[in-house]
Amino acid sequence: MRPLFAETSVVAVRLIIAATFAVATMFVDVRLESLTVVRQVIKTALWPIESVARFPQMAFEGLGHWFISHERLADRLKTLALENERLRTEQLKLHTLRAENTELRRLLTVQDSVLERFLHAQIERFSNDPFIHRATLNRGIIAGVEVGHPVISADGLVGQIVETYPHASEVLLMTDSTHHLPVQMTRTRFRAIAIGVGRMDRLELRNLPDTADIIPGDMLETSGLGGRFKLGIPVARVNKIIRSPGQPFARVIATPLSALSRLNLVMVDLSGGTAK
Amino acid sequence: MIFFFSLCMTLCLSAFPFPASFANFLPSWALLFAVWWGLMRSYQLSMVALLIASLAFDVMYATALGLHGLLFAFVTYILAIIGPSIRQVNWVRQSAFVFVVLLMVSSISYWARNLTGAQAEFNTLALQVVITSLFWTPTRMFFDLIARISASTPGDR
Repeated sequence: MRPLFAETSVVAVRLIIAATFAVATMFVDVRLESLTVVRQVIKTALWPIESVARFPQMAFEGLGHWFISHERLADRLKTLALENERLRTEQLKLHTLRAENTELRRLLTVQDSVLERFLHAQIERFSNDPFIHRATLNRGIIAGVEVGHPVISADGLVGQIVETYPHASEVLLMTDSTHHLPVQMTRTRFRAIAIGVGRMDRLELRNLPDTADIIPGDMLETSGLGGRFKLGIPVARVNKIIRSPGQPFARVIATPLSALSRLNLVMVDLSGGTAK
Repeated sequence: MIFFFSLCMTLCLSAFPFPASFANFLPSWALLFAVWWGLMRSYQLSMVALLIASLAFDVMYATALGLHGLLFAFVTYILAIIGPSIRQVNWVRQSAFVFVVLLMVSSISYWARNLTGAQAEFNTLALQVVITSLFWTPTRMFFDLIARISASTPGDR
């Protein structure tokens, strides 16, 4: 009996020590947020492994590009040329508006707030954990990315940078269950907080007054409150309003404008706020 | 050497860029790694090495540092107690045992994740446990192969 008892005790002691270490590490990481350097060191050390893991996908994409047909390429080129023309026209309008805006601001002696610096980045991979909506970008500290920079796509907001490493950074997608985003309705300027619920196709606005003027199809944009995201970045479209009889609050379900699960290229707003 | 090779292979699988919509249907490679070491190689396993390896999985999955360490500690504890009796049974029974072990560990994962702010759903965790258990037999064969290859290298003798 004795050896069995002694062996079990040793295993139990090992469990207690290991579990205590793990819980203490979790506490320090989550509550005190003081293990950023450790995370950066480990991530940098894992960079070769991540490169190896990405290799099959890169090779497959390379082969796909190699075997693409001439007609498809010509079609793609034509579409892109048309899109380019449209964007150039839009840009001309934007230049005029920006010049007008700067002039008006100068007349009103208001500081020019339009100082945008965007950095193109590619999504290398999404976290494979089902409860964590994060994506790894191929740009990091060396490219000037900092924690708090907003990340947007051609359709709208994607999320914000939460971790930076020398050659990569991590975006917390706005649909993550820990993400809260100050938004407003484009139509009524009604303000609310959009909460991620852990689904890539859904945002929720909770505890809204039952009498709030919201209809399905309303657009949500960032309200600029909190200083992290600039005013007016498109976020989502209202999909459904749930009003329970007898309850003072309504719940709104919205669909993000960016197809988050299919994103590949994004832009990091380097001039974006880093305020918490 | 076997530990290093198996760790690298598991990290590669964890870092593989699967589409985001696959996340609910992927096995937990990290737990499979811990189960193999706890079940098949517990006599060679160093808890310190396992805890250090767990930090790499935390960074790879972007979970709170220490979460995988906690899960690994419980997996190895449970397998140290019941492991000898299930090591020699057939693969179906072994997968069933692994399912039960992983279900217990997932309860701890569910509690720890909710405590650290992530809103985990138990149904999704349970689905992951089922898929992970189904992957147990091929993973075991794969790791056994790595172990045989590593053991045949001169540095590991």
